[in-house]
Amino acid sequence: MASSPMKQEARWGVLLALPAIIGFVAFTFLPMIASAVISLTDWTIGAAPKFVGFANYTRMFTADDSFFKSLWATLYYTLGAVPLLLIVAFAVALLLNQPVRGQGVFRVIYYLPAIVPIVANSMLWIWLFNPDFGLLNTLTEKAGLPRSQWIFDESTAIPSLILMSVWGFGNVAVIFLAGLQGVPRQLYEAIAVDGGGAWRKFRHITLPMMTPTIFYSLVTSVIGALQVFVQAAVMTEGGPNDSTLFYIYYLYRTAFTNNEMGYASALAWVLFLVIMAVTVVLFRNSSRWVYYEAGSTR
Amino acid sequence: MTSSGLTRRQLLRTGGVAVAAAGLGPAVLAGCGGSDDAGGTGGPLSFMYWGSAFEKKAIDEMLKKYGKEHDGAKVDPMYVPVSNYPTKVSSLVAANTPPDLAYLGTGQMYDLAQKDLILNLFPYLDKYPELKDRLPSSYFWYGKDKLAANQLAMGVQILYYNTDAFKAAGIDPAPFTADTAWSWDDFVQAADKLTVDQNGKHPSEDGFDSGKVKQFGTIAPIGGAPLYSLLRSNGGDMVNEDGTKFALDSAAAIDVLKKVQDLIYVHRVAPSPAQLGKNAPTTSVQLQTKRVGMIIDGNWTLLDLMESKVPFGVAVLPKFKEPLTMTGGAAGAIFAKTKHPEEAIELYLYYNDPEHVDLFKDGLWAPLQKKYYTDQAEIDKWVLKDKYPANFKTAVVDTTLKNGVTDWGQQIKNADRIHQVLDPALEQISLNKGAPVDIVKALKPKMQALLQGKWPLQEL
Repeated sequence: MASSPMKQEARWGVLLALPAIIGFVAFTFLPMIASAVISLTDWTIGAAPKFVGFANYTRMFTADDSFFKSLWATLYYTLGAVPLLLIVAFAVALLLNQPVRGQGVFRVIYYLPAIVPIVANSMLWIWLFNPDFGLLNTLTEKAGLPRSQWIFDESTAIPSLILMSVWGFGNVAVIFLAGLQGVPRQLYEAIAVDGGGAWRKFRHITLPMMTPTIFYSLVTSVIGALQVFVQAAVMTEGGPNDSTLFYIYYLYRTAFTNNEMGYASALAWVLFLVIMAVTVVLFRNSSRWVYYEAGSTR
Repeated sequence: MTSSGLTRRQLLRTGGVAVAAAGLGPAVLAGCGGSDDAGGTGGPLSFMYWGSAFEKKAIDEMLKKYGKEHDGAKVDPMYVPVSNYPTKVSSLVAANTPPDLAYLGTGQMYDLAQKDLILNLFPYLDKYPELKDRLPSSYFWYGKDKLAANQLAMGVQILYYNTDAFKAAGIDPAPFTADTAWSWDDFVQAADKLTVDQNGKHPSEDGFDSGKVKQFGTIAPIGGAPLYSLLRSNGGDMVNEDGTKFALDSAAAIDVLKKVQDLIYVHRVAPSPAQLGKNAPTTSVQLQTKRVGMIIDGNWTLLDLMESKVPFGVAVLPKFKEPLTMTGGAAGAIFAKTKHPEEAIELYLYYNDPEHVDLFKDGLWAPLQKKYYTDQAEIDKWVLKDKYPANFKTAVVDTTLKNGVTDWGQQIKNADRIHQVLDPALEQISLNKGAPVDIVKALKPKMQALLQGKWPLQEL
């Protein structure tokens, strides 16, 4: 009975958060420490680990072509997929924010692809990409454009997967939609009073007010894109000629096909550092273009 | 070889569960493998394998039969789709809960054996003399007096064809003795007759539309056992005798690669990889649906072909210089961690023996013992006249011993790594990304760096 309500509240807080904390420590933090240690060893599954210092990291940067190839494939994918995804999601969110009949129906339709499981999605796109009787080539042919080999050609494989990634814009669009609804109406009214049209509203109200949402989506999309895996595993197996050997897929192959746990752990840490660096850069630059509403304008 | 993305995903999941369940004992793992005996407590032995739906059924039945004949001994079948099989094995080994017996690809088997994770059968040879009566090429040695395994069964390459498609194209049955094997040109000619587009035109006729092909003549054998059979037939090889030097750049080998590539892009009698599609149907389905008229594939395909009642014939492979076929097969191994090594060896011997097991009569496997190839009475025990296609004896049984060359992968060291550079190069050839001679030239230094010689052979 000696404890104050404040103290009791803190105790309850910790207690209720404990499952998450334990989960994080046991399944994320400790494995991370373990993989950092493993990354300093030469350890193949079934054999005893040997301490090798930074040899795995040296090998990565000096003697592993696949490392650079996979890094490039992943960056290429990220640079293509993220901007396209954000633009499409933003455009669709703007449309879905219009007060029209059947607004709810449209919102459902545009969100649907996002809830298709990624593997089912991949199987579907394998058919769409089929150069002989796939829907995409049928369409390009009808439009008088040349046929593409899509995921079956080294040069078009990654662009094809970028195109496919945009199909799952639903999640980002929902976040944008929520952001759009949070833009204060009086600002639009003010611009209307001043005689500004739709473009001005978009350029000077919507866009600046949306920058925090855009920034959030940008960071999460970049992190997600850098970890692209399923498309390579299900659709291309890294091919043709390793052109879609995405970083995580390469890591997975190293760990479970080549059984090199030490090297795979080192790869994982390099990716972690890359993602961290990219995120830091994005945050550092964000002050230049992200506008945070001053607390009291509403 | 089926490889569907869905099973891949499932496997990722079960693989993850297996790792997470590492400490929970074999019952959980057996559950992941899809054991039939849901109510059982988990038998003393687990048997991990891959294969088609028919193969799964056949293996499960074989294991049940074994149980009945051995005082109710229980074996848990663990079926894993082939596309993720090595990954699953690695996960189980990493979790320190490997199965007792397993199918293993040769590369992975050697890797595990040199880490002493596979039971050395050598000390058991005296107690189980039947282990000694296999064909010499079917043993996997990983050092002096270190015997890791035998092949699961004998595998051999066959030219399969749809007999209805042959009749419709007006082609005589394909040759079924080594002496009468088709030349490569004969093969291409037959493939041309079999290939028809939507308008009924053949590739050699004007107006043939290669984008709308109804039935292809064949599938280009750019890789694996079919390619290796043809390379050797022309006097070429992947590597030199002792496995230390790259040999795919010989004129004979390049010639084969070029001719195989030409099937797709010059003669247009075989689908390109894109036309074949991702997750392409199995050989038996391709032949059954007459998407393809004839295919070179392994004898294990017989099981699916016979079960599906496809009207098919068997023939000897087309030849370049010598008529021949490649023999080999994945390993059937026992893990060193097994608590019941002798029971495991008994099951091992049981499933290798056509006397007990229907898998030979069903077409999945060819026997490992010589007598089943040379003695007519023994041949009749597995090559059932009313079930097997006509001429199977001359086309397959006879050629296995007389014209068989052993798979280079049977003994090569570092095989999995080698395939990681070799296979994309062969894929380049099949995608027509350059002349085989140039692609092979670029491959040479990469593959040469990975060659570490061969595993030894040992007399018994």
